[in-house]
Amino acid sequence: MSTGAMISFPIRYRIISFLSWFVWKLVPGRGATKLAEFSYTEAGSGLDMLVAAEQTERRDMRLKYFRHALDEMKHSRMFRARSESLSRERSRTRAVLDDGDYIRSHGIRSDRSLFEQIPEMEFLAFVWAHEARAFDQFQVYAGLMRDDPETSRMFEEIGRDERFHISYSRAELERARERGESAAVRRAIWKVEWRRFSQMWLRFSRDLGHFMAGLWLSLAYLLLVGPFSIIARITEKSEGGLCAVASRPPAPVRAREMG
Amino acid sequence: MADRHVLGLSALYHDSAAVLLRNGRVVAAASEERFSRIKHDPALPLRASRWCMDHAGIGPGDLERVVYYEKPLRKFERILVTQVLGFPHSFNAFRRGTQAWLAEKLWVGNSIASGLGIRPDRLLFSDHHQSHAASSFYCSPFEEAAVLTADGVGEWASTTLWRAGPGGLEPLGEILFPHSIGLVYSAFTAYLGFRVNNGEYKVMGMAAYGEPRFVEQVRQVIDRVPEGGFAVDTSMVSYHRSATDAYGAAFEALFGPARFPGSEFDPSDAEGRRYADIAASIQAVTEDLLVDLAGTLHEKTGCANLCMAGGVALNSVANHAVLTRSPFESLFINPAAGDAGGAMGAALWAWCEVLEQPRPPPLERADLGQSWDDAAIEAVLTDLRYPFERLDEAALVARAADDVAAGSVIGWFQGGFEWGPRALGHRSILADPSRADMKDRINGKIKFREMFRPFAPAVTAAAADEYFQIPPGAEHVLQWMLMVCPVRPAGRDALPATTHADGTARVQVVHPERSPRYHALLEAVGERTGHPCVLNTSFNLKGEPIVASPMQALATLERCGIDALYLGSYRVVHAADE
Repeated sequence: MSTGAMISFPIRYRIISFLSWFVWKLVPGRGATKLAEFSYTEAGSGLDMLVAAEQTERRDMRLKYFRHALDEMKHSRMFRARSESLSRERSRTRAVLDDGDYIRSHGIRSDRSLFEQIPEMEFLAFVWAHEARAFDQFQVYAGLMRDDPETSRMFEEIGRDERFHISYSRAELERARERGESAAVRRAIWKVEWRRFSQMWLRFSRDLGHFMAGLWLSLAYLLLVGPFSIIARITEKSEGGLCAVASRPPAPVRAREMG
Repeated sequence: MADRHVLGLSALYHDSAAVLLRNGRVVAAASEERFSRIKHDPALPLRASRWCMDHAGIGPGDLERVVYYEKPLRKFERILVTQVLGFPHSFNAFRRGTQAWLAEKLWVGNSIASGLGIRPDRLLFSDHHQSHAASSFYCSPFEEAAVLTADGVGEWASTTLWRAGPGGLEPLGEILFPHSIGLVYSAFTAYLGFRVNNGEYKVMGMAAYGEPRFVEQVRQVIDRVPEGGFAVDTSMVSYHRSATDAYGAAFEALFGPARFPGSEFDPSDAEGRRYADIAASIQAVTEDLLVDLAGTLHEKTGCANLCMAGGVALNSVANHAVLTRSPFESLFINPAAGDAGGAMGAALWAWCEVLEQPRPPPLERADLGQSWDDAAIEAVLTDLRYPFERLDEAALVARAADDVAAGSVIGWFQGGFEWGPRALGHRSILADPSRADMKDRINGKIKFREMFRPFAPAVTAAAADEYFQIPPGAEHVLQWMLMVCPVRPAGRDALPATTHADGTARVQVVHPERSPRYHALLEAVGERTGHPCVLNTSFNLKGEPIVASPMQALATLERCGIDALYLGSYRVVHAADE
């Protein structure tokens, strides 16, 4: 079974290592933010695994999903604690974990959990592929952060947990193969890979959309809001205090109005 | 005659929620965060709505009306006008805010209709503060009442005054954005190093360690005005022109450097003392302003009863001040006084005033969320290979009381989860409040939260007055832990773990007819310790919503130092302990 293994691990290790240097080392303080983002991602994974444990009809899988969920939640706390600690060390004036909407706005969690969106075989394939990738990455990060032993050790410890996640999900997929469901397993793995690329594409499109919308709105702000602000300030009434409420139409009429 | 159903929704700011009425009565109510597990989740409450409908055994086609808690177009108007007025400082707020509005918030009607699968013509819109007012008055036991709502901001209003009676809600006055007691309190919350819309109650807790020696400075930011109400000096704050900053340089020049988020708070050092004094000062001014508003409202209505709502009504210290220092004789507050409660208010307003149906009976219970029966719990415990004991009612209560009296910290998961932000004995962590070390133990080893934060006591109705100075007319809010009362000297000696630094406690008074199992537990604890009280804190870890399901309760058990968990009729301990 292989996913993402079209390139051998030593080469992948070097590529990830090279790219990671820019992410972690180039901008001081970026590491704390990155760890905060990992914390959210792990929290989101923990929630997905807990939903899987609650909703799976395979009672033999419940305990595995539950333990996996606990691991992800533990990782989330470890990343968060380290991120907060690094933020304090750098005396940054703002906490990096202030954005409570992060999980939603970055698509880590949507209206339905991953387990509710895809069949269980595909879910298991996702867990296996995702954890294997995370394991590779964390190995790289552990090496990259040798000058920060605490962070490096944390990545190593989390990596050890990922081994369990990889092994139980791989074992389940192997069992399915032995039951004669090789084609279904292969399809599930391909769907996971396809999903990963489509999600990357969606993220890129979304970011581009945000960028373009920001550009247009910046233009609108400078060209339209500026002149209007002069008129608005002339008519502004903002003394505070209690004021009377304007007369209102009857409730059944008012209830239909959005404004 | 067929049953009639109305669904109320609040969403897209913080604490989104869904509430279902059947023939006017609340049959299900839940915040989205309990399902999504994202604290203060602002997303459209589709999961909560689906659960409400499943619980009632209906589908979207059975909903006569779906009512959104505010007017999105009016809110957008306010935001645009504010940003135009804030030029050029509002650049970032405009770019970010307008994107969010154009992408999502303006089309909330369509999102609700498609998300729930309802016809768009079934959708109604209430006003933000009208929803708050309705959530309080229509749930109260009062025939007539004055209603005071105060929060950050709705469409334009931040504070509103109403007269309520058989004819419905009549608006008497309002204070408009940017003049907002809630937003100024939030600015101080940010200044003191806590998250806005999340850490306001930490400011309240911090205030107990300080003296209000910065009141004059706070009054430079917000103060009463001769025509009634209050005004904010907008040069001191930034919330009206910034999406990220609540206060400006002038504010920091007035109060000194802000507290770094997450830093240690030690009230015995000079810096900690300064922060505590600032917290005490904004708390004192907030109380004064609310008491003033209540006085004005009493003059206008002549009512003896007051209903309060909005996020500011979750300030349980101020609620005590309002009841004891204003002419009102009785107070009612919805257990979900904040934006989540707007969902309940919107639905009730539509039922009573749009559909012109009779007012439902008062809200008496808060366990309006999802529950699990023993069979479902046992299946989870078996699948997760937890050793458990199944106990009958008497044995369960006796065993839990034994645990508490022996100094154990227990998880208490019983019935439906609570409506509102407080754990009221359905999803609670309980312990013996007579042990002085219990506060530090739970803060440090179980909840992983700031050591200065107090815990609340729960006490039987019969014994409440023995331990706490309970003002007359407070019974409707004490059942939902919405008021801080002075602890009597005997109570301070008896309950050190729940008596705060200033000798007060946010007490929950438990009635046997409303929470029979929880009440029986308190009595059983009383037989063992001499005090029918427990320390009651919400069943969650720092930064997480309160647990909803048995699996979530077990996941919490595994990650903290709770000694035993009472899940329905089952006693469970950590998997490794057996």
